[in-house]
Amino acid sequence: MARFITQEWVDAYVEEINASQEYLAAAAEWEGDIAFLIQAEPDKGVPADVWAWLDLQHGRCKDGRIIDAERAAGAAYGITAPYSRWKDVLEDELDPIKGMMQGKLKVRGDLPTIVRQVRAATELVRLTGLVKTEFPDEV
Amino acid sequence: MRAVLFKSEGAVQVGEVPDPTILAPGDAIVRVTRSAICGSDLHFFHLKAPVEPGDVMGHEGVGVIEAVGDGVTSIHPGDRVVVSFHACCGTCWFCRQGETALCEKGRIFGAGLFGGRLAGTQAELVRVPYADVNLLVLPETIDDDRAIFLGDVATTAVYAASLAAARPGETAAVVGLGPVGSLCIQALFAAGAERVVALDRDPARLALASAAGAVTVHVDERNPEMALAALTEDRGADVVIEAVGHPEAFASALDVVRRGGRIIVAGMYAGEVTDLQLGVWWARALDVRFTGLCPVHSWWERAAALLADGSIDPMPLISHRLPMEEAQAGYAAFDRREATKVLLAP
Repeated sequence: MARFITQEWVDAYVEEINASQEYLAAAAEWEGDIAFLIQAEPDKGVPADVWAWLDLQHGRCKDGRIIDAERAAGAAYGITAPYSRWKDVLEDELDPIKGMMQGKLKVRGDLPTIVRQVRAATELVRLTGLVKTEFPDEV
Repeated sequence: MRAVLFKSEGAVQVGEVPDPTILAPGDAIVRVTRSAICGSDLHFFHLKAPVEPGDVMGHEGVGVIEAVGDGVTSIHPGDRVVVSFHACCGTCWFCRQGETALCEKGRIFGAGLFGGRLAGTQAELVRVPYADVNLLVLPETIDDDRAIFLGDVATTAVYAASLAAARPGETAAVVGLGPVGSLCIQALFAAGAERVVALDRDPARLALASAAGAVTVHVDERNPEMALAALTEDRGADVVIEAVGHPEAFASALDVVRRGGRIIVAGMYAGEVTDLQLGVWWARALDVRFTGLCPVHSWWERAAALLADGSIDPMPLISHRLPMEEAQAGYAAFDRREATKVLLAP
């Protein structure tokens, strides 16, 4: 069980991504690293903003880290949302593409490119469900 | 006369300048009894907009008419008046529509080149052009301390709340609880809003908002987007007034407004830029209205009525009353966010 969102959780997630043939096929054309900002919600057990970073290239994740804001700014894409929104995504209660168009997930970078990768995004979300996750507001 | 003069970035000083005189038939000279420091004065204090050493600061003023030009008809020596923070001509197309802040000849007191080099109100005397339209004669029911808010802050709040047009059952949010944001809460309630959510990180300002009847959110303790979501079945606020004038506050307004909601941008902007996801704004069907400067002349009588009947009470906002000679301390306190409103007495 890995706490969302820690390096341990990111490591487990990267493992699931790289084991997925479905993601390999869906994201074959994807190039670009993505920084995910999980915005603080002190009342939900997330006292400070956390940046997670995935280097996604052609259906594989070459690296995954918890990083600082300065490094995140250099990523090709950034996706920002409060912790509770990410939790909704992980629990399949918020479709990420719909969330982006509704402004619940804020995207930095070329939004049309991300939206066109709907199969890859869907697969990335499905894979989070395979990570045994402990949410900070449920501890 | 004595006046508060811009000295250098982050510094003002009180010094001697020549008394203003009648330069045009429509002018009046006001002997200032009360001026104030406003959040937007800090733009000039920090040289975010150009001012020059020796420029007289300030755009809020109350006083008594000392002299009028031959062309002034409705204002008379001895009248107690409040000065509109921006001066309009009263006759151009925009003024005739009531959009006086867009006047062809519009100028702003104490705003250097940006404001058309009109000397400010933080002085013993101020020259007011087109005095018939740029001065409001005050009723006895509104004292100087309250009246100072009519020239800018209270009227701006009434204007923003009117644009927000919160309907019964709607949730309004105010981002930033400086003087304008704080009075926006009262103005929203006065206009019929049923629920107002106030967002800031300053406990004293949140306490004032709570006393005014708002639901408060300390943005460092609760994520504002999720706080509004929790209050509105995950939708967000129906209407948001952004009362700061900073890209972060604008982003916060975008975060907390619902799809199809309205954002009233009342905070002042100068050279700031922000990313705009056209597709997302379009898909969210956002209605974003920038107020620009408040057309004070079209709204100050309505604001005066709300001050007179107590619907809007600015008195809790006054944190400092200083002699004009201590203006530097007042600016510094405002800059450190230790002051909510600083009044200056010449």
